[in-house]
Amino acid sequence: MDRRAFLARSAGFGVAIGAAGLAGTRLLSQSGRPEPWNPSAFRPRGTARVALLGARTYDDGLEQIVRDGLRLIGANVGRARVLLKPNLVEFDAGTSINTDPRLIAATVLALRRAGASEVVVAEGSGHRRDMQYVVARSGLLEALQAVDAPFVDLNADGIGAHRLQSRYTELGQVWLPRAVTDADIVISMPKMKTHHWAGVTLSLKNCFGCMPGRVYGWPKNALHWAGLEGAIVDVAAAVRPDYAIVDGIVGMEGNGPISGTPVTSGVLVFGDDPVATDVVAARVMGFDPAKIAYLSEAARFLGQGDLERIVTEGEDPERMITDYAVLDRFLPLKA
Amino acid sequence: MEMDTSAPTDLTENLRKHQGTDGGFGPRADLPSEPEPTALAALALPSPAAGAAVTWLVARARPDGSFGLSLGSVDNDSATPIAALALPAGLARDRALDHIESAKAEATGEDPSVPHDARTKGWSWTRATFGWTEPTGRALLALRVLRPDSAAIADGLATLADRQCADGGWNYGNPVVLGTELPGFAQTTAAALLGLQGADAAIVEPGLAALRRLWREEHQGGLSLAMATAALRLHHDPDAREAEVALQQLAATDGLLGDTVSLAWAAIATGPALERLVVSR
Repeated sequence: MDRRAFLARSAGFGVAIGAAGLAGTRLLSQSGRPEPWNPSAFRPRGTARVALLGARTYDDGLEQIVRDGLRLIGANVGRARVLLKPNLVEFDAGTSINTDPRLIAATVLALRRAGASEVVVAEGSGHRRDMQYVVARSGLLEALQAVDAPFVDLNADGIGAHRLQSRYTELGQVWLPRAVTDADIVISMPKMKTHHWAGVTLSLKNCFGCMPGRVYGWPKNALHWAGLEGAIVDVAAAVRPDYAIVDGIVGMEGNGPISGTPVTSGVLVFGDDPVATDVVAARVMGFDPAKIAYLSEAARFLGQGDLERIVTEGEDPERMITDYAVLDRFLPLKA
Repeated sequence: MEMDTSAPTDLTENLRKHQGTDGGFGPRADLPSEPEPTALAALALPSPAAGAAVTWLVARARPDGSFGLSLGSVDNDSATPIAALALPAGLARDRALDHIESAKAEATGEDPSVPHDARTKGWSWTRATFGWTEPTGRALLALRVLRPDSAAIADGLATLADRQCADGGWNYGNPVVLGTELPGFAQTTAAALLGLQGADAAIVEPGLAALRRLWREEHQGGLSLAMATAALRLHHDPDAREAEVALQQLAATDGLLGDTVSLAWAAIATGPALERLVVSR
């Protein structure tokens, strides 16, 4: 299927995501009540740009690919303090849990080349409390030393209270790390993975790593207890990443996000809108994004979910699809 | 038990540098004081630094006796057991122990996706949520050290026995999720073993065997190594000395990255404060 066909499908998808949005409303909020977000806090959803670039390995040319991706989505990082938020939830040498350190280092270089005044890599591991171990054992420490980039443990950073502008949970307020709130630009940089409770984990779910474990625990069970899908929307709406870069060179299928199987997709997904990025990335994983309740709900106010209003650059999304295996419970979410 | 009479000066000195002008300790030296790092430092340090930290803690005891961080609907009271261990005998400590006994985790009922004994609860990170390994281990430790007749101890022991992984260690929570066996981690295995001193050998011995493997695999992590050293020393394990040397080498190399919790655990693990975590047999 070429891009024209993809865009033709987008029309149907646009309708579908609207319907799924209604389904999401039933799932995540209660009918007859005001919309569960503050309309004055979120700008109208405009056209989004998403770029898909092929990358078969982590070894060669990544910096140039990232530079191309940033250019295609019109990323403006000039003179900005950029916080790069990868996914390092824990470490297992036998699988592909984390955003690859080589890609993170290449992105640091690309952002500097694009004019960023400062690039900080930051994560608050969701499962392992010992962030020093995860950073060292995953290879991130060595990769960041090679490019002279700092790392901030968001589980131990200074925190400030923030009132939520959406109400998909009863959380009301959240603690956010200073490194996140002080950054001019936040880039969510997840691994392309299935998730055994939420279907997929991409740039929106990756925002859980911004929530300090010393408040929310390891795992960040208080967020799950509040209602996982609603918490994904509320936390992403609080963090509000400016851009997203999804590491799908090697992703994870099956029983993700920890115990799944590595799968080579050979793709990086860049976006100037995390919702749009996740919609396209989920499609590339073989999901019907409209059936992912938290994603369709986020598309109602946080970002663009209508593929007719997502400009795709680079590779043809339909040619980049790798049908990620899923647990039986998520088979209904597949396209 | 026999222990060294002093912690290595560099560890305690590094930790002392994290003390704020209010007497408390933040997660890092440049951050406002919080209950957990302050309680750990109060345990780890000698007077007068410890006294100022205890004063900070006592002033932050909440009406229900707990210590923690609260915002919106989330209340993290998991520092309470560490605070109880750090406080001198008296009303504040008694109230903290009362809170630990009353604030158990929520039971979730049987769930085949995360099989566990639904009769067990343990302790949670945040109030009225599920029980996890580290908060359960520390609550169990505080009760067994300070209130050994507590009726809540049986549930803590049963919870950790139920959550033990097939490899003998402890993951952060359940040992099996959706049919997949999860591995033990050094830090959470140590957290469990701190509370399991002198407990059923059928649980403890596989746990120690796992920890002997895990601390070597995870020696790059300061918190893992510090808590593993504490647990191995308290269990009189032959690996304890080697782990302690590795910990001191790591601390000398990178200062445990300035993380107060890791530094405090390292000072506890290698110094006389460990005596305060001994469960009487």
